[in-house]
Amino acid sequence: MEKHSIFYAMFIPSMFLFLLGLGFRLSLYLQGTLEGEENATSWRKFVILMGRGWRGFRKKPLWYLRVLISDVIFHRKLYGQSFYRWLTHSLLVFGFVATFLVDMIKGFTTGYLVEWSRSLPVFSFAHAFETGRIRPFLDFSLEFFSFLILAGCVLAIVRRFIFKPDQLRTEEEDIITLLFILFLELSGFFIEGYRIAHPEVVTRRVYMANFTPPSANNWLSFGGFLLSLFLKEMTVDPDFLWYLHVIPSLIFFIYIPHSKLLHIFTSSVTVIADRAKKKPLS
Amino acid sequence: MDLSKLSPKQILEIDACTRCGECLNYCPVYSQRKEEAINPRGKIQAIKRLIRSQYGLWARILGPRKLDEESLKKFSEMVYHCTLCGECGLQCPVSIDSRNLWLALKEVLVDLGHYPKNLDLMKNNVLTQHNITGEDNGLRAEWLESLEDLPDHRYQKEKAEVVYFVGCVASYYPMAHKIPQGFVKILNKTGTDFTLLGGTEWCCGFPLIGAGFKKEVHELIRHNIEGVEKRGAHSVIFSCPSCYHTWHEEYKSNLKLYHSTQFILKLIREGKIHFREGDKVKVTYHDPCDLGRVSGIYQVPREILRSMPGVELIELADHGEGCKCCGGGGLLEMIDPELGGALAKEKIKQIQATGADLVITACQQCIRTIQSTARRMKIPIKVQYITDLVLKRMG
Repeated sequence: MEKHSIFYAMFIPSMFLFLLGLGFRLSLYLQGTLEGEENATSWRKFVILMGRGWRGFRKKPLWYLRVLISDVIFHRKLYGQSFYRWLTHSLLVFGFVATFLVDMIKGFTTGYLVEWSRSLPVFSFAHAFETGRIRPFLDFSLEFFSFLILAGCVLAIVRRFIFKPDQLRTEEEDIITLLFILFLELSGFFIEGYRIAHPEVVTRRVYMANFTPPSANNWLSFGGFLLSLFLKEMTVDPDFLWYLHVIPSLIFFIYIPHSKLLHIFTSSVTVIADRAKKKPLS
Repeated sequence: MDLSKLSPKQILEIDACTRCGECLNYCPVYSQRKEEAINPRGKIQAIKRLIRSQYGLWARILGPRKLDEESLKKFSEMVYHCTLCGECGLQCPVSIDSRNLWLALKEVLVDLGHYPKNLDLMKNNVLTQHNITGEDNGLRAEWLESLEDLPDHRYQKEKAEVVYFVGCVASYYPMAHKIPQGFVKILNKTGTDFTLLGGTEWCCGFPLIGAGFKKEVHELIRHNIEGVEKRGAHSVIFSCPSCYHTWHEEYKSNLKLYHSTQFILKLIREGKIHFREGDKVKVTYHDPCDLGRVSGIYQVPREILRSMPGVELIELADHGEGCKCCGGGGLLEMIDPELGGALAKEKIKQIQATGADLVITACQQCIRTIQSTARRMKIPIKVQYITDLVLKRMG
């Protein structure tokens, strides 16, 4: 089967399970009571809350955007409490957000727009993303942002298992989460290195994310490039490597709503709600 | 277990806790009793487990597990061992509104019948006598008796612009009588058209809310609003920060609400209060939890103190947002007086470290807690309500 089809055969059910997990949590939250709407059904409460959120956002979208960036992604409050924790958190969050965005751009332009441009010339600009001027930026950005995640993950591991501050309690879930992130990052860099070291893998279009032709500037993917120097002599089934990275990535995705990683969503709500609420009088 | 006592946001907040433990550094109760279960993180993890046993995936497939009475008992003990100081929420990196979460959890526990039974007496007093002490509510204004030149209306007029809502503690506890006595004199001196509700003032409902009996407060709220409106007043002043905050949060009315410090500052700004030169005195200010962290009033009392000639303000090591609870909050006095006392001792140590001659605060409960503990410790600390100092130094 073609890689795209295999990927979507795994991705769509994973997405479904992820959304089901989120829906399960949401259904729990909707068991709570909304003041003034004591008899509302869960659906009605959902509609009311979404309406409130939307109206709030519509009133001052820039304010929400600012809070999202400064207080959620870059966690301003944590900066005031601990620089080390702030740095760790920012590297992880910003790394994930940025990697996700660049990956989406790269995947969409090189995976779809380039294909479509063959019949619709209007999309021919996408070639800049595939082989043109934009490609080096994409390669470097992906590598750099992934490196930030890895650095954040290492800092978190060092704090939890070496510094061991008194306030921390390490539970199974914390270990699983950190190991998961570490594995995904390391396997990602390894695959990148293997791809650079073995151009035939690109020709065979084994890695969906790298359907793009080999880059003339492989060194821009600095982590993978460094690894590739050691992987030239090594031969591993590239399909196996792909599955080794993709399947855990999708499991990680499904795991989010059932783990402490759910705070990606829940704490965004609590932080924004806190900043939006009327401050006490003075 | 009924989650309807919580709001959707509060249930979500339970999931938002990342167990980072930042709250541990600030929880006054945890500073005394180093138990994981008693700190905010421990309480959130405990309720998470309880919710999971009732509403988790397995509970939905196989049915909810029977609630373990022992776990509930322990959980209840932990939730009620809280001063409601709100510092955990303020410091929480993900801004969990924990103070309101604890209040909602108490409601859940009351529903399950797991709460300290001595709270029933207080509840009964409030619901039958309309005050926390259980004394005749007609005696609410007895503290007036020691005032000289008491007018015929005894400050209980049929109509007035402003109502002074005295609160249960200042009305019934002799140690706190000086507060309304002094404040009434200030209002009088400044020509404020005010009235007391006297025997028709009912408890604001805060003790019930703080104990988890929130559903019982509606009648109190209705009665008090009616009482104020009947007098044609447009404003209500409180010397008790808890009454003030409860009115702000729970009373839906268009009345203008002032804590006594806000009203005093207003009078100073309007030129109705002038201070004369007085002896030089070093004071420190203790921020009451319900006035500071909970209501956001930090600068108003400080501005009053700075406006008095001769008064030098020396801040406590932990002040403003970081001010430590004196131990008198959250009904801890009824639940674990020993623990409350231990917190008061810590507060007294901080006060002594400032070298101040006088501790000023703006809460009758803080005065009672600090003063009585200092007496027990045989430490000669003078604690004064801010309006008493204002009265003493008024020109």
